[in-house]
Amino acid sequence: MSDPAVAAQGLVKRYGARRVVDGIDLVVPAGAIYGVLGPNGAGKTTTLRMLLGIIEPDAGQRTLLGAAHPRDAGDRVGYLPEERGLYPAMTAREAIAFMGALRGLDWRTGRARAVTMLEAAGLSHAADQKIRKLSKGMAQIVQLLGAIVHEPDLLVLDEPFSGLDPVNQERLEGLILAERDRGATVLFSTHVMAHAQRLCDRLAIIAGGRRRFEGTVDEARGLLPQQVFYLPTRPDAGVAAVLPGDAHADGDGWRFTLPPDGIETVLTRVLAAGYGIAALSIERPGLHEAFVRIVGEAAANAQEQAA
Amino acid sequence: MTRIGRQWRQTLTIARRDFTATVFTPIFLLFLFAPLIMASFGSIGALGAANVADGGRGQQVTAAIVVADEATALHGVVERWRRLRPDPAPAPFDLVAPHGDPARQARALLARHHVDTIAVLHGPLASPTIVYAAGHRDAAFQLAAYAREAELRRRAGMPQLAPPLFERIAAPPPPAARRGASAFAAVFGIFFLTLFLSGQMVGTMAEERNNKVIEVLAAAVPLESVFLGKLLGMFGVAVLFVGFWGAVVSQIGAVLPADMGAGLTALSPAVGTPAFVLLFAGYFTTAFLLLGSLFLGVGAQASTMREIQLLSLPITVMQVAMFALASAAASRPGSWVATVAEIFPLSSPFAMAGHAASRAELWPHAAALAWQLLWVVIFIATGARLFRRGVLQSGSALPPWRRLFGRAG
Repeated sequence: MSDPAVAAQGLVKRYGARRVVDGIDLVVPAGAIYGVLGPNGAGKTTTLRMLLGIIEPDAGQRTLLGAAHPRDAGDRVGYLPEERGLYPAMTAREAIAFMGALRGLDWRTGRARAVTMLEAAGLSHAADQKIRKLSKGMAQIVQLLGAIVHEPDLLVLDEPFSGLDPVNQERLEGLILAERDRGATVLFSTHVMAHAQRLCDRLAIIAGGRRRFEGTVDEARGLLPQQVFYLPTRPDAGVAAVLPGDAHADGDGWRFTLPPDGIETVLTRVLAAGYGIAALSIERPGLHEAFVRIVGEAAANAQEQAA
Repeated sequence: MTRIGRQWRQTLTIARRDFTATVFTPIFLLFLFAPLIMASFGSIGALGAANVADGGRGQQVTAAIVVADEATALHGVVERWRRLRPDPAPAPFDLVAPHGDPARQARALLARHHVDTIAVLHGPLASPTIVYAAGHRDAAFQLAAYAREAELRRRAGMPQLAPPLFERIAAPPPPAARRGASAFAAVFGIFFLTLFLSGQMVGTMAEERNNKVIEVLAAAVPLESVFLGKLLGMFGVAVLFVGFWGAVVSQIGAVLPADMGAGLTALSPAVGTPAFVLLFAGYFTTAFLLLGSLFLGVGAQASTMREIQLLSLPITVMQVAMFALASAAASRPGSWVATVAEIFPLSSPFAMAGHAASRAELWPHAAALAWQLLWVVIFIATGARLFRRGVLQSGSALPPWRRLFGRAG
């Protein structure tokens, strides 16, 4: 197994008396798309900033691409911060080349690549436009191109989808997948589950400054039991008597958790009682539901501890 | 690439960005030609002030109420005074024949509305009475002097004297005075340049903060490199500015009045002119870097333009204070004031430039330049550390010297 692209152990960051990040461990496999999920204020940005060396942790260790200090791997990392920032007087091409130059790419190569990348992103017309003339979405794409112009081994994106319209969100998803296909590791934070569910090979869910879950999307979804939707052939509230105890009405049908011994027993009872089966589906919970439950449990635990 | 090599490359990338972002803008032309604008307005102001002064002087007259033979003698004296001292010219002088009561006539002259008569002499020249308007006692004494000389000459029967000849020769001032002048010129020259140029550093981090580019920079580049890069970028702008105006002044020098040219050649630094020029350039560099790094560090803490503007006053006051300290050192080489000014980091470049004019040894300059550069490093490291703590909200466990030179863990 190759060395992880990112490894962090026991990262702690305090602002005053508040522990914003409280002992987070992370292992991001090389070549994976890894999501850091969490509600607002969970500590995602602070964690990423510590991993990148923008701020120093109060405790804990981290390695980035095998380097003991993030600065030593700086030229192999690309970063899109949550708060987008570009020099408004620069042209798009110069802005991309400048960000590449900061990471060790010579200006001439940076400019040439910028033109190619802007063309590929459908923004060739913006190459010589000043950043201040671009729309917010276009500027955001330009900044992302600046983060990858030097072909980094690790791409760190902090809330990359925020502020983008659906078209640009899809374009960004394509760019992330292309980076992974190129061989880069992508680490991104989000609180929008749909992107994470589509993109992530692995993910961590953090809340209250602590890691609450780490694994694949499937493993996260597997934390919740599957749900059954059942529609009888004749509407009758009496059917509840033969359904599991957590069944609740959903329109003309009923929803309940799939029993541990399967659906067969329930179906046998329903058919025996003469309600028939007009429709039946067994649904896996989405990442969204898993996230809500994990974060909800974390909040409940925090409240208990506070009490 | 080594860590130092990478940081140097990143520093130059930042410097290049800042230099081009500053120079390739229309506003830079305004900055570049600011001295011309300042000189133009200064000239207009001086011309206006001279006109006002001349106008005021032109309207003021003095007068004498004397009999005819005394008037002739008095006229000759006044004319000789005018030839001897043409600039500033004495107030125009009227000779008035007496009629009636001379005292009343004198007061009537002073009360004239169409002419601003400031002093009137009446009575015999041997014992004149001079009436003058309040505030013009000098004019009254001048009239008294005219009368006394005219009466003396009349009594002695002295003939008119030929006007003297004036001949200017290029006599250099004594060596001590030339060195003093050189020292003050060096101190003032560096002060003048840094006053204009280094103060700009205070607002340079505001761009990154306002545009939120700082997060991108901080992720890619150590803050020390960001600070140093911005400092070098603006130093490049300063060198361009000085180079441009140096070239202009060197051409203008050829057409300067002879007295002004003589003033420049009278400068005679103790270390010799070539070394003095090099040391001046070196101390201008360290003065810019020292003040610039201090202002950059302080200004980086300001979060709004209002705060940055508020900082401009204490910054100017501090620069003037350093100039005053260094000027005192230049006027008293070897004194304790000079030693303090040469050691205190912020006044050291000014004072040492003065030192180069008055003392011939070169080794103190090597030590001084090293000392000043050390403080540049300290200011940059401290500024970056404060920025990291205050703005990026990062409590770094690593001291700045380890961040600059050491391997972080």
